[in-house]
Amino acid sequence: MLAPNRFDNLVSPVDLQGQQIRSPISHSSAPALLHRGFIVAGGVLLIAAFGTDCAYYSTGLWQWSNFSAWLITAALIVTLVAVLLLLIDFVTGRAGRINTASFILVAADAALSLVNAFVHSRDAWTSVVPQGILLSGASTILLVIAGARGWSLAISRGRASGDRS
Amino acid sequence: MRTISLRLIAALISLGAIAACSSRAGDPARQYGSDPYLPEPHEYLLPPMSVPKAIDWQGGETPTVSAGLKVEALATKLEHPRTLCTLPNGDILVVESNSPGTEPFRPKDFIAGKVKARAGAAAKGGNRITLLREADGDGNPELRTVFIDHLYSPYGIVLVGDTLYVANTDAILAFNYVPGETRITSPGVKLADLPAGRLDHHWTKSMTASADGSKLYVGVGSNSNITENGMDVEEGRAAIYEVDRLTGAKRIFASGTRNPTSVAFEPQTHQLFAVVNERDEIGPDLVPDYLTSIQRGGFYGWPYSYWGSHVDVRVHPQRPDLVAQAIKPDYGLSSHVAPLSLLFSEGQRLSPVFANGAFISEHGSWDRSPLNGYQVIFVHFVNGRPVGEPMPVVTGFLGKDNETVRGRPVGLALDRSGALLVADDVGNAVWRVSATQSGT
Repeated sequence: MLAPNRFDNLVSPVDLQGQQIRSPISHSSAPALLHRGFIVAGGVLLIAAFGTDCAYYSTGLWQWSNFSAWLITAALIVTLVAVLLLLIDFVTGRAGRINTASFILVAADAALSLVNAFVHSRDAWTSVVPQGILLSGASTILLVIAGARGWSLAISRGRASGDRS
Repeated sequence: MRTISLRLIAALISLGAIAACSSRAGDPARQYGSDPYLPEPHEYLLPPMSVPKAIDWQGGETPTVSAGLKVEALATKLEHPRTLCTLPNGDILVVESNSPGTEPFRPKDFIAGKVKARAGAAAKGGNRITLLREADGDGNPELRTVFIDHLYSPYGIVLVGDTLYVANTDAILAFNYVPGETRITSPGVKLADLPAGRLDHHWTKSMTASADGSKLYVGVGSNSNITENGMDVEEGRAAIYEVDRLTGAKRIFASGTRNPTSVAFEPQTHQLFAVVNERDEIGPDLVPDYLTSIQRGGFYGWPYSYWGSHVDVRVHPQRPDLVAQAIKPDYGLSSHVAPLSLLFSEGQRLSPVFANGAFISEHGSWDRSPLNGYQVIFVHFVNGRPVGEPMPVVTGFLGKDNETVRGRPVGLALDRSGALLVADDVGNAVWRVSATQSGT
């Protein structure tokens, strides 16, 4: 990070001070990961779909199931955008390495939600009860864990180098 | 937590089983007649589908007819012809129409729109009635005029005395008809409103008149496949109405008929019959569409049950009290054939084979593989009841590869000479089927 010079085996007090100051600055100025916000948005939509599924289960009012179908479809589209942005994060060097556990959580959740979109494309009561609402519930559990892990599917390069030092 | 995860696993396994389950359809012949084979219902992630691509009839191609008959085009280049009506002077009326169009409600509606467009069902209707006059017997109409224009998704049409009734999707209109006239410009007088509204899923309003002309009977389809648009929009839907011709007063004559696309009186017994399009998405062999006599006050099951008391679990809340009353239809036509027109043969002018019975046009649909319907059949009647196996009369609408469709039969009528007329809303033609011997 520091330009090498012939005195680089000497550590001056100025350098030590510089490290102490520079370290927090380099952490906060690490480029933001583009995909993360879209993972959050998709997750929020899917958790909302669990809410509307519960509302349909308790009221039987068809408009709730309609909301669920749109929320899940929108979530899948937003997640697709997140995947593209994740690739951009890697290509542009914003992302250091994949956050394996979070990635598996979100990938499993996307697969469940894709199945759930088809279940919700059925007509009337059985588009939600029982399979649709169970899938929405399972998806919500996975998302809460992913949220607790910070939503990000990759570790940013800035933080990764910080980790190493 | 443990029970939840067990239930979840069970549900996921059943999902997988449903996805893997064979969606191959059985032999339609098992579902003809009064006691059709009914498999267990299944719900799918992606219901079995096969969408034939609509292509034009290539130069000189026609549908195929059974032995002793010939077929020729009476008119082409129509705008989505649906129903036909022969006037006493021999003039033929062609109702050119399609759905008024509905906004997509759910994500799947966008997919359904694409499917319809591929199969040629999304074309704009003419919203008009065309008159064809073919009096010299050469098979080419001497006259073709726009008889009534600016209608609103018209379908049913019936002449009683000197009044022509046209069922738009939202109202019955009455037009004064002078024999021989070729154009009506007066706007028509509204006799009665019909259920329509912003959502108008099954939009066709089929119509016939009682023998004495005092009552009109109107078939009104449901506003959904199986109540997925809520129960509020089903008010007054999936029913057959009786409308007083003089006052316009109407009441529900029979209910639970999901989509009664054609109503007609059996000529010997004067019993009202209907063909009804049944529900989709619970299997390639469910539910058989049917032909049935319509009893006054009868309930035919939709949405709560099908073929009598077979409960449809997609409807919530369920109504066991109504299921217990549900009438079994008279005659299964097999599943997803989409019968759209019912025409009693009125004697044997076309062939002695057709002395007693009804022609039924099967528009065909795409929620079954292999496809079913796409033909005109004849069902024999004995003592005023449908019997035996249906007989294909006009076929060849579907390509031999089952992947292309040149036409789809809709409205049926007999012309003055007794020839069978078939409206084709993909080929945009009217076909005339006549006997080879008589030389008509």
